[in-house]
Amino acid sequence: MFSTIFFYELKYWAKRPATYIYMAIFFMLSLFMAATTAGIFDSITATTGSSRIVNSPMGVKGLFNGLAILIFFLFPSIIGASINRDFKSEMHSILYSYPFTKANYLFAKFFSAIVVVTLIVMTIGVGMFIGFRLPGTNSDLIIAFDIKSYFNAYWLFILPNILLFGAIVFAVVTFTRNIAAGFITVILLLFVQGVTESLLSDPDSRYLAGLLDPFGESASAYYTSYWTVFEQNEMHIPIKELILYNRLLWLGVASLVFGLVYKFFTFSQNAMSFSLFKKVKGERSIKRNFGGITKINLPKVSYDYSIIQNLKATWKISNVEFKYIVKSWPFISIVLVGLIIVFIALADVGNPYGTTTYPRTWLMLRGGSAFVFAINICTFLYAGMLVNRSKIANVNGLEDVTPIPNWSLFLSKFIAIVKMQILLLTVIMVSGILFQLYKGYFDIELGLYIKELYGLKLINYVVWAFLALSIQTLIRNPYLGLFVLLVISIAIPFLSLAGVEQAVFKYNEGPGFRFNDMNGYGDSLANYLTYKFYWVLGGLVLMLIAALFWVRGLPHSFIERLMIAKARFTTPMAITFVLILGGFLTMGYTIYNATNINNDRYSSKEVEEMTVDWEKTYKKYENYAQPRIVGVKVNMDLFIDNRNFESSGEYAMINKTDTAIDSIFLNHNDYPSTFKFSRENTLVSEDTLYNFDIYKLKEPLMPGDSMTLNFTVKNKPNTFLVSNSPIIENGTFINNFQLFPSLGYNGGELTDDKTREKYDLPPNKLKPHPSDSTALGNTYISKDSDWIDFEATVSTSEDQIAIAPGYLQKEWVEDGRRYFHYKMDSKILNFYAFNSAKYEVKKDTWNDVSLEIYYHKGHEYNLERMMDGMKASLAYNSENFSPYQHRQLRIVEFPSGGFAQSFPNTIPFGGDTGFIAEVDDSEDGGIDYTYAITVHEVAHQWWAHQVIGADVLGATMLSESLSEYVALKVLEKELGKQQMRKFLRKSLDDYLLSRTFERKREKPLMYNDGQGYIRYQKGSLVFYALSDYIGEDVLNGALKTYVEKVKFQEPPYTTSIDMVNHIKAVTPDSLQYVIKDMFETITVYDNRIKNAKSTELDNGKYKVDIEFEVSKYRNDDKGKQLFSEVGRDSISYLPEGKTKPILSLQLKDYIYIGIFTEKDVDGTMKEEQLYLKKHKVTAIDNKITIIVDEKPTEVGVDPYNKLIDRNSGDNRQKL
Amino acid sequence: MKLVITNLTKTYKNGVKAIDNLNLEIGTGMFGLLGPNGAGKSSLMRTISTLQSPDSGSIMFGDINVLEDKMALRKVLGYLPQSFGVYPKMSAEALLDYFATLKGIGSKTDRKAIVKEVLDITNLYDVRKKHVAGYSGGMKQRFGIAQLLLNNPKLIIVDEPTAGLDPAERHRFLNVLREVGTNCTVIFSTHIVEDVKELCNDMAILNGGRILKQATPSQARAELQGRIWTKVIDRDDLEAHEAQYNLLSSNYNEDNSLNIRVFSDNQPNEDFKSVEPQLDDVYFIALKQDEPVSAV
Repeated sequence: MFSTIFFYELKYWAKRPATYIYMAIFFMLSLFMAATTAGIFDSITATTGSSRIVNSPMGVKGLFNGLAILIFFLFPSIIGASINRDFKSEMHSILYSYPFTKANYLFAKFFSAIVVVTLIVMTIGVGMFIGFRLPGTNSDLIIAFDIKSYFNAYWLFILPNILLFGAIVFAVVTFTRNIAAGFITVILLLFVQGVTESLLSDPDSRYLAGLLDPFGESASAYYTSYWTVFEQNEMHIPIKELILYNRLLWLGVASLVFGLVYKFFTFSQNAMSFSLFKKVKGERSIKRNFGGITKINLPKVSYDYSIIQNLKATWKISNVEFKYIVKSWPFISIVLVGLIIVFIALADVGNPYGTTTYPRTWLMLRGGSAFVFAINICTFLYAGMLVNRSKIANVNGLEDVTPIPNWSLFLSKFIAIVKMQILLLTVIMVSGILFQLYKGYFDIELGLYIKELYGLKLINYVVWAFLALSIQTLIRNPYLGLFVLLVISIAIPFLSLAGVEQAVFKYNEGPGFRFNDMNGYGDSLANYLTYKFYWVLGGLVLMLIAALFWVRGLPHSFIERLMIAKARFTTPMAITFVLILGGFLTMGYTIYNATNINNDRYSSKEVEEMTVDWEKTYKKYENYAQPRIVGVKVNMDLFIDNRNFESSGEYAMINKTDTAIDSIFLNHNDYPSTFKFSRENTLVSEDTLYNFDIYKLKEPLMPGDSMTLNFTVKNKPNTFLVSNSPIIENGTFINNFQLFPSLGYNGGELTDDKTREKYDLPPNKLKPHPSDSTALGNTYISKDSDWIDFEATVSTSEDQIAIAPGYLQKEWVEDGRRYFHYKMDSKILNFYAFNSAKYEVKKDTWNDVSLEIYYHKGHEYNLERMMDGMKASLAYNSENFSPYQHRQLRIVEFPSGGFAQSFPNTIPFGGDTGFIAEVDDSEDGGIDYTYAITVHEVAHQWWAHQVIGADVLGATMLSESLSEYVALKVLEKELGKQQMRKFLRKSLDDYLLSRTFERKREKPLMYNDGQGYIRYQKGSLVFYALSDYIGEDVLNGALKTYVEKVKFQEPPYTTSIDMVNHIKAVTPDSLQYVIKDMFETITVYDNRIKNAKSTELDNGKYKVDIEFEVSKYRNDDKGKQLFSEVGRDSISYLPEGKTKPILSLQLKDYIYIGIFTEKDVDGTMKEEQLYLKKHKVTAIDNKITIIVDEKPTEVGVDPYNKLIDRNSGDNRQKL
Repeated sequence: MKLVITNLTKTYKNGVKAIDNLNLEIGTGMFGLLGPNGAGKSSLMRTISTLQSPDSGSIMFGDINVLEDKMALRKVLGYLPQSFGVYPKMSAEALLDYFATLKGIGSKTDRKAIVKEVLDITNLYDVRKKHVAGYSGGMKQRFGIAQLLLNNPKLIIVDEPTAGLDPAERHRFLNVLREVGTNCTVIFSTHIVEDVKELCNDMAILNGGRILKQATPSQARAELQGRIWTKVIDRDDLEAHEAQYNLLSSNYNEDNSLNIRVFSDNQPNEDFKSVEPQLDDVYFIALKQDEPVSAV
């Protein structure tokens, strides 16, 4: 009987068009995705340049798995429906009396459905295989086909997942006899997976996460998340214990679920029902069997078929539909789970470094976006449910013969969906408010909630509702419709990869909006609403088309539906249609016109080609001698009301070279500008595309001679949809590079070598090596100046304060505008900014330095911390390195951006970055990042504004790594060494994770290309460890000598080599290897405790025997592991019972060994250090014995993770 | 008002001609549409009820052109399909209120009044708060009548309403139908001849999409007066009689002998006794005459 049922089922699916539709969709999707990542659209859009192989085992698994997740949404209608179909067709009443066993029936049903799903999944593999190899894909991104990649992804991940989720869905649908229930189960499982993943995201719980993730993703990530680019490209996913345990665990769960189905399934008539309440006691019921002749006298009622009444009826029907949605338990469960997600998101939003942020309303709204998926799913699903509701309930025979017009029925479904969306948005508001109250935060901006949720967000969901209802009406199968809608909504953003970049062509796309405390929504709303209104019209067009195809009664074929649609396309309908379509197209054209015709818009392809053209045309002038800017005087007038600026300025320039300069290369932007030189000249080349002009001087500028450039710059007027000015209403923050001209060719070239090769450009070495003495003429900040005199007059509206570097000379009001004149009394880098906003000011002093914080009213929370941070950083830097060069230090708030930036005596600081951090000062609290950022930025007044590196590799080590080092040291004094472990582990994790996304190459710290993960995370780890190895005083002493030598120097500028040499000079020979490992190479340790035991001695002390392994290797710039330095000098060790030896570079390393115990301090167990000393290690395998005074609980090798180690979890072991 | 159907034809995608150039005129009162399973009754009734469109032909109800102006007919139409469902988790009262809205009753008090009345008529008032989905077959069918009455219909179409009802329910149902049918046109399809005999003042027999006969039940019986004969035979003699006579029906007796009825203008032989014609005989004769002549 098994085979009969089994093959009957397969035949059933083979005959269903849906099977082939699903296959086609998956095939096309995977083909598209594979071909896109392999660069097939490079000819029409920007080049997919990358050092990443797209069909590497990791790449195949990622894409294969990602697409296979979509198939879970088909489970309810394929696996779930296999048994449910028999119920629905009421076949079960006959079938279940047949002589087959439960096992035959269940297994045949389940496995036939699994086979169908499996076949659909196969099309993904086929689509990928073909997609990668379509003509036109970039062969550099592809390696030879390796069946093992597909096979491993398939049997290790996809197939077990299908079995697990298939079994669960099978169970749910079989017992509830409700496909929607199966569907909700899938969504819940995906949600739950997301929740557990975010709950177990910290490095310590990765093993647990790896075990518990039902998809197996976290299990493979446990081994591969730190893989370098080389490893990702070359290596197969290791089939190691955790992956196998995970798979076995979940296969076990799948069998268990199926076993439960087997146990509880009975061939019975009625669905299982679960009741929360006790069963009502049964009562014998007898109906009346006699009587029943009644006189019929229907009451006189009035019937009204007017439009008004139909509208009223529409509203009333929508209420009925709405009640149906709200009462259905799929909806209830989505809302409940959605709420949990929102709460988790709220608790997590804006919490860098474990420090929470004050729950501002806008932040709550941002956290509420975790609910977006739930709202979309509900919209897609219930659009289908409502459209097909009367058909599913078989009420259409009654409903369709009533005189209610079609539009009324259709409209009522739309209104019901919108009501549902409003309810869901209310859920966001309520949970946000509850969260605020829970946190004891009472500044609840109800108006903001209402405006954003019901004004701005709702319209976005309404546009989706239009699409959902239209598609569901046309398709008439709610689950197929849902699937199509999911694919559409996921695919739309990817259209950019295929060269469809403009939002005007992509349904419901458009510019977004973002709120911040200082500037509110700024000017983003007009654009947002314009696009949304445009898409509302687009959605209405779809709705009208769908209305033509609305099914009333029982049409039998597509042809018939077409005929009916044609008949319904009456004159009034046609007029409405043409009007709305016309409106849609007109608006689309207007938008297109505003963004493309009246505005220079370049596609990413054009931008790429222009970058090439720019380099080819002008790179030849790179080393052409140019005068240096030595003085800058600017007038900057900010017109806040219409967001314009007008500026004028004067550059004083000197020929510092020893040759005569005959031409000036003026590199400016496309703001309307005028330029006037103090020397006679002719404009020999004017480039209006790249804005690179060449002026030939009549008399060459002789060495030592000077000249001036006077310029004016203003913005083009802001127009509909296009903002041409960086000025905002409250909180303008602009710097000179955005506005003012510079001299000479300034780079901005394509960096990916494969892309460059395509355009016949030579490989890019990014920047010269620091040992290249000819390349030290410029700082990495600017190419046309060294140190300048600076003076600025800034004007703004009367109610704002405007700030620029320098000291305030004068402040006055004239014609309703407020003027500020700033002048700097010492030399600064040619790098300055203008800020303007309605500021409050807090003042303090440190020694003779006046401290000021310009902040937004209401952001008073952390001003003290910032003041303390400024003082602490000023103190540490001036004590250890050199005096502070200014008499004043200002922090200036700007709206948002998540960063702060240090300008001379002025530090613009993001309003969302620290101003609203809710710092927990207790020992368990997170890192006080407000303080840390303040210290870091203040340190830049030394490490950038005194010591500035030449524009060569490794320059950012001198500024960013050192500022980060200072921040760590100051923080350590504040928080203690224990707390530093948190910070360092986070830095280590961030470094190891970020380097896996490297697109070009990773260089050692002192030769780095400027990547954030090297200059911040690795830099802080290295300097902190170094200060530990050679001593903070020794290191700072070396740095002090270095600063003394290089601060405010004229070219040639200093380099990382210079600084490292200073450090080397104070480092003992035995530790010189540390410099080599940390600065000159990328060196990674693999340290672990193998075995440890402690025995109590007779004298009450404890003997601790520790067996541990130490090994290290180098990475090349693609991440390949190298175990030998010169020749084959690696050392190796073969552990017992293993076949592969552990390799390592030669070791003469000093590694910390630590022994710890736990002590009860006020009720909580706190770790206490019994022993911590560096041991010299020369072999991989080591055994030592240490005597300690108290009973130890834990031992560790490099226990504080000071060294870079990809598995920091095995550095410690509990006893 | 009269319902006039002219040259109506409907062919399904699978090639089945469900309605075959059908002409029919139906006046006020109860009209029985009799026919075997698959005769095209439901197709015809769905077409009249605006649920599906015919390939050709016309349907007029009074001066309403049904195929052109479906809305006009829907205002005066009460339709009860052969099988129908209801929305789960809705009480009879709520569901009727919903249908009353669909049928254009704007005022809340009006809706309340008429819903109460139709619940009374169909004897569902006591269970009005219960979910309709939990009703028994008879109650559900009565609910179907209740919803049908809401717009005080002039044309009532009920498709095989008595199938599966117990005798008490069936009687009650037919009584209600009779009651509402006094002032309007009621078309009532069934394959149970009994129903038509009890209720209808006019009837038609439909098979293969064609009207085989239209007459009043009494008139149809009168036509057969003296032409129906019966005889008791052995089971083994059945084939012989079938070949020899125009056999209409045969029923077993308790002693395993058969009672046969034969249609003949004259007494076939002296063994046959003349009997009072029944509506069944009309039905079988009509079907028999329509049967394709098989090669003998």
